[in-house]
Amino acid sequence: MSLLDDIDRAFDYRGDVTVVLYNGERIEGYLYNRVHDARPTPYIEMFPTDEPMPVTIPVDQIARIEFTGKDMAAGRSWEAWLKKVQKATAEGKVAEMYPELLD
Amino acid sequence: MGVPVSQMWTVASYVLGQRLRGNKRYPLVLMLEPLFRCNLACAGCGKIQYPAHILKRQLTPEQCFQAVEECGAPIVSIPGGEPLMHPQIDEIVRGLVERRKYIYLCTNALLLEEKLDLFEPSKYLTFSVHMDGPRKEHDFAVCRMGTYDVAVSAIKKAIGRGFRVTTNTTLFEGAEPEKIRGFFDEMMKLGVEGMMVSPGYSYPKAPDQDHFLHRNQTTQLFSMIFRNPKKHWRFNQSPLFIRFLMGKEEFECTPWGNPTYNIFGWQKPCYLLQEGYAKTFQELLETTDWENYGTPSRNSKCAHCMVHSGYEPTAVDRAFSSLSGFMKTAKASVLGGF
Repeated sequence: MSLLDDIDRAFDYRGDVTVVLYNGERIEGYLYNRVHDARPTPYIEMFPTDEPMPVTIPVDQIARIEFTGKDMAAGRSWEAWLKKVQKATAEGKVAEMYPELLD
Repeated sequence: MGVPVSQMWTVASYVLGQRLRGNKRYPLVLMLEPLFRCNLACAGCGKIQYPAHILKRQLTPEQCFQAVEECGAPIVSIPGGEPLMHPQIDEIVRGLVERRKYIYLCTNALLLEEKLDLFEPSKYLTFSVHMDGPRKEHDFAVCRMGTYDVAVSAIKKAIGRGFRVTTNTTLFEGAEPEKIRGFFDEMMKLGVEGMMVSPGYSYPKAPDQDHFLHRNQTTQLFSMIFRNPKKHWRFNQSPLFIRFLMGKEEFECTPWGNPTYNIFGWQKPCYLLQEGYAKTFQELLETTDWENYGTPSRNSKCAHCMVHSGYEPTAVDRAFSSLSGFMKTAKASVLGGF
């Protein structure tokens, strides 16, 4: 799989990734945009986990992308909800879903 | 019709002005997402599935005002996330009212009673309360018991305080027409100004991909719901859009009609699909390959979509671009029925 494919996968991924640059730097954060047809150089944009502002990284500086964060959409499907309801009903309880705590 | 005359006049003069200037692509409603945080975790929602550091971020009031001025749409819808969780939502709303924008603040109403004192009633401000059907269906859809009752209480309080209040209902596979008709009766009894209704749609980043309606299911469902519509039902949306949902109109999507702005920028191409972001509204208009979207494009992601963010702008434009569209809109507005 090529780097561009990994960038597209990271763009669709609902979790943080770590972008490893050729200079050895590692940037962890949420990749929210990629512009493959940008001139002179394609680039990605991401919010690093601990920075207030987004960063732009030229694709030709990226060595690889690691999927290091939890997929925040996992377990949130309608089927997962139905299973939770069935289990709770069988136990005489009420099923509910809550957002994850942020702190 | 549930839309006040002053708002209709603003929209009508805006659309006619755009058409007279020959603008083929113009925005009607800005979808301003100031944050993705929410106090619910609905299984069908693809809007809030982000890491914590993204959910903690939010647009500043200045960023919101800049987006509103850049876009120029006469109506600003504020979805999210839950906008009432934004610590400066009152400042954002006040700034938009000063700019004479018609605001639909979309809320699940869990915080509405608590936050009501932050706002002043205005013809420019409407609380659009998310109600996905009768009590049992709504609570099930939002995965939390008791939310229907909290929302109903907040609706009553807001109406009592003189606020404009509408409901916003998304219907999914399995919705029962008779129950939805009864739900419309209940909402009108509460005294809401009007109701909005739309089919849900499976977009790629939503974790729930399977219980959204397909196009033929949508037209069947809405035909049954709106067969013999009751006189006291009022809708805060174009009658032509409802006719479209019933399969009585053929429309194409207008993805630029409801552009979306959030912490990532201007979303390409529409409110539901996230295929990239532009830094400015102009860049969004100029760099999005619009021909790749909508049913004529045969893009599978668009095949069954009939949601209001794509088709309501088409309906509004049609009302002002053809005599038949205008007549159908006028007839529905005056006589009721679709």
